[in-house]
Amino acid sequence: MTTYLMILMALVAVLGAGIALLSKNAFNKLIGVAVIASGTIPFIAIAGYLDVAVAVALLLPLTTIMILKITVGDDV
Amino acid sequence: MIVSLICALVAVFATLRIVFEKSTERKLVYLNLLNFAITGVIVFVVGTMVDPWLAIAAAAAYFVGATLESNAIASTLAQKEGRQ
Repeated sequence: MTTYLMILMALVAVLGAGIALLSKNAFNKLIGVAVIASGTIPFIAIAGYLDVAVAVALLLPLTTIMILKITVGDDV
Repeated sequence: MIVSLICALVAVFATLRIVFEKSTERKLVYLNLLNFAITGVIVFVVGTMVDPWLAIAAAAAYFVGATLESNAIASTLAQKEGRQ
């Protein structure tokens, strides 16, 4: 039963990679990066490493905010 | 276990809507839906395997982080579009 769940989460992550690869707008690329993160964190949680999942879930938004400040929000 | 599969199907639906949506604002709406669905997947799958309170803590941390991320993208988009 977990196998089907992993297939669906992998589909989410691969579709997010497609969004981040094929988009022209910078905001759409950042949304794709967020979808990739959302697809990969359940793999860490299903494997049982919940402390790693907490750390990754709290550190990935910081990387997104840094990318946002560097690329599109330089003078905002 | 079937509940987590339903949550995963909602997550795939939200991702497909993000892929085929043209407007960035509507993409952000379905990104929030994706965050809710992934939180459901984490708390329903891991809560049956290990300590449920630890699963709830992991799901809450994920939800806080994902909401912070999508709100950062949305507020920067609003500031850039309001300035022009």
